[in-house]
Amino acid sequence: MKARTRAAAFLLTPFFVLFTAVMVVPIGYAVWLSLFTEKQSGLGFGGTETVFTGLDNYTAALGDRAFREGFGVLLGYCLFYIPLLIAGALGLALLLDSALARARRFFQLALFLPHAVPGIIAALIWVYLYTPQLSPVVEAMEAGGIGFDFFSPGGALPSVVNIALWEWLGYNMVIFYAALQAIDRSVLEAATVDGAGSWRIAFSIKVPLVRASLVMVGLFTVIGSLQLFTEPLILNKGTGSAVTSTWTPNMYAYTAAFDRNDYGLAAAASVLLALTAALLSFGVTRLTGRRKEKAA
Amino acid sequence: MSRTWNRTSRVIAGTATALAVLTACGGGGDSAGSSANKPVTITFWGWAKGSKDVVDAFNASHKNIRVTFEEIPSGTAGGYAKISNAVKAGNAPDLVSIEYSSLPEFVSSGALQDIGDEFTEADRAKLLPQAVELTTLGGKTWAVPFDAAPQAFFYRKDLFEKYQVAVPKTWDEFKAAAEKVRKADAKARIGTFFPDDPTTFEAMAWQAGAQWFKAENDTWKIDTTDPATTKVAAYWQGLVDADLVHKNASFSPEWTGSLKNGTTIGYLGASWGAGVLKGTLPEQNGKWAVAPMPSWDGKPASGMLGGSTFAVTKDSRNKAAAVEFAEWMSTTEAGVKARIASGTSSAFPAATALRPVAKQAFDASYYGGQDIYALFERSGASIGQNWAWGPTTGTTNTAIKDQFGKITKGGPTIADAIRTGHEATVAELKKRGLKVEG
Repeated sequence: MKARTRAAAFLLTPFFVLFTAVMVVPIGYAVWLSLFTEKQSGLGFGGTETVFTGLDNYTAALGDRAFREGFGVLLGYCLFYIPLLIAGALGLALLLDSALARARRFFQLALFLPHAVPGIIAALIWVYLYTPQLSPVVEAMEAGGIGFDFFSPGGALPSVVNIALWEWLGYNMVIFYAALQAIDRSVLEAATVDGAGSWRIAFSIKVPLVRASLVMVGLFTVIGSLQLFTEPLILNKGTGSAVTSTWTPNMYAYTAAFDRNDYGLAAAASVLLALTAALLSFGVTRLTGRRKEKAA
Repeated sequence: MSRTWNRTSRVIAGTATALAVLTACGGGGDSAGSSANKPVTITFWGWAKGSKDVVDAFNASHKNIRVTFEEIPSGTAGGYAKISNAVKAGNAPDLVSIEYSSLPEFVSSGALQDIGDEFTEADRAKLLPQAVELTTLGGKTWAVPFDAAPQAFFYRKDLFEKYQVAVPKTWDEFKAAAEKVRKADAKARIGTFFPDDPTTFEAMAWQAGAQWFKAENDTWKIDTTDPATTKVAAYWQGLVDADLVHKNASFSPEWTGSLKNGTTIGYLGASWGAGVLKGTLPEQNGKWAVAPMPSWDGKPASGMLGGSTFAVTKDSRNKAAAVEFAEWMSTTEAGVKARIASGTSSAFPAATALRPVAKQAFDASYYGGQDIYALFERSGASIGQNWAWGPTTGTTNTAIKDQFGKITKGGPTIADAIRTGHEATVAELKKRGLKVEG
């Protein structure tokens, strides 16, 4: 018993050392930073003094319209993106799973490949494809009479959603496909014997049986969306697009630290975002946990 | 030292300590460097064209100081963030490039040190007074100005001739010329509105006589609704609304692409732009020419667009050496020559006596041998004296840039964007505990 405890302690130590060093300490430091503000006097050319300002940075962040609007953008993004992602990924997975699909491996790989491209590279590729006068896509659309400006205020959200879809569709398709493959084939055979067509089998048998993975993908995507940063940042930096430097809460924190030199505000915004994510994860896990109990 | 220690160490758990020892050794090397005969080593971060050539030339001709150069992204593209983080982390280089517009922000965040004792009154007298004024804040000297950046209008001489457009002297003529260009070629435009770059707009406001930041006693007075700014904002809104200029990010592939295929045939930039165009579009050799910036009344007038200075960071222990190197770059013939002769820089030195040197070193054949330095000289003398930058340039310009990106027909206007920038500036100054009116 003692030896086992020692072995457990030994094996767990690396985890806890890393966890403390890269999670607990930085979070503690961010909370600490968020309580201070650099104050100046006179015209401000006499240097700065770091003053304890309590929760002032938090009220400043919450009082800033740009920060609150960031959450609005996230909400819009989730409402737009998640249904498309789930419907698309599930649809493709069902196609691959159906007996009709040929070259299954090829499609699986081809659809998954975009996920292997790092987000920043994907964003750069798409910025190129969005840029009028450079992009063959925009040119083709214009030739076809569709004048859509990806950098306009109305185009910002669709542009980012499109990049995210391209990156994540294949990945989630693989998850759904794996879940579909795990379905007991005898159930499907029984349905066929009972005279159900492929559509009926897909929507009345397969989809209900993979509901758990649908919920899981939905959850992970919501929580992942809170971190939305790289793709809109590239759209903000490299172009004169309508994606502002405070478009998402993460970008707000980044801009506060690196454009405005206000580390206290940046820390406060980050802590608020982390709290939101924690609350959301907690609420959602509780909710699904309860649902499972009921089902059982 | 670390060798004896290593011999005794046999446990893996010692990794952290080993790291600490290594760091300590690194620190020890520094102090050894400054002793006796060895040269002082200073580090320099910058992005201006030709910096590497200047550093090489300096190292080749100096035994007492060795400069290590690291190229960083240009200021607003991430260079400034890199510098402020390094200062915060305590590992900043000795000398950094900072543009005039961002200098007050670095001074007010306490990132720099006063160099008045090394860079004296007599040294400063060699430089353009406007440039010295912009580096003197709160009565102290914070940076060695390198170049003055008078505005200039670059245009495709061949296409202007082909379309029979006269080079505009006033902004009214510029608008008429813009219409003519579009008429001659429906895809071509005379220039570009840069939604990602508020400094170009600010230079236009400066040229028109605006003064956004005024320091009075201990109070900042912010004014962005003065007649000059209002006039410039309305003028550019007109050009954008009437689709007389392109709307592309500056130096973006989109912008360069349109220059390459001749759908953008002019560029409202500054002196340093001559080198940039030459480097970006080598195939258009001989097709470009430079004109003074159009003005409101036809008389020479200019703001300043960019232009860099060299500043010493607060923790540098090599201030004297850093200032000596900075002065060498800015105020000596050899320094200026080394940069311009690199072929990529068309910097217009703030040191008045060195302009003939710069002129001689710059190969103007790209501009058909035009005497562009004489033109910069006239424009440089006409740089408005009133403009000052505030201590919140990052906040001000980010806020304006965000709104510029949203400008569309019927949407937010340039004036709206400036108002948002104004409000953000006032809020930021207040948050820092400074007195502000406006």
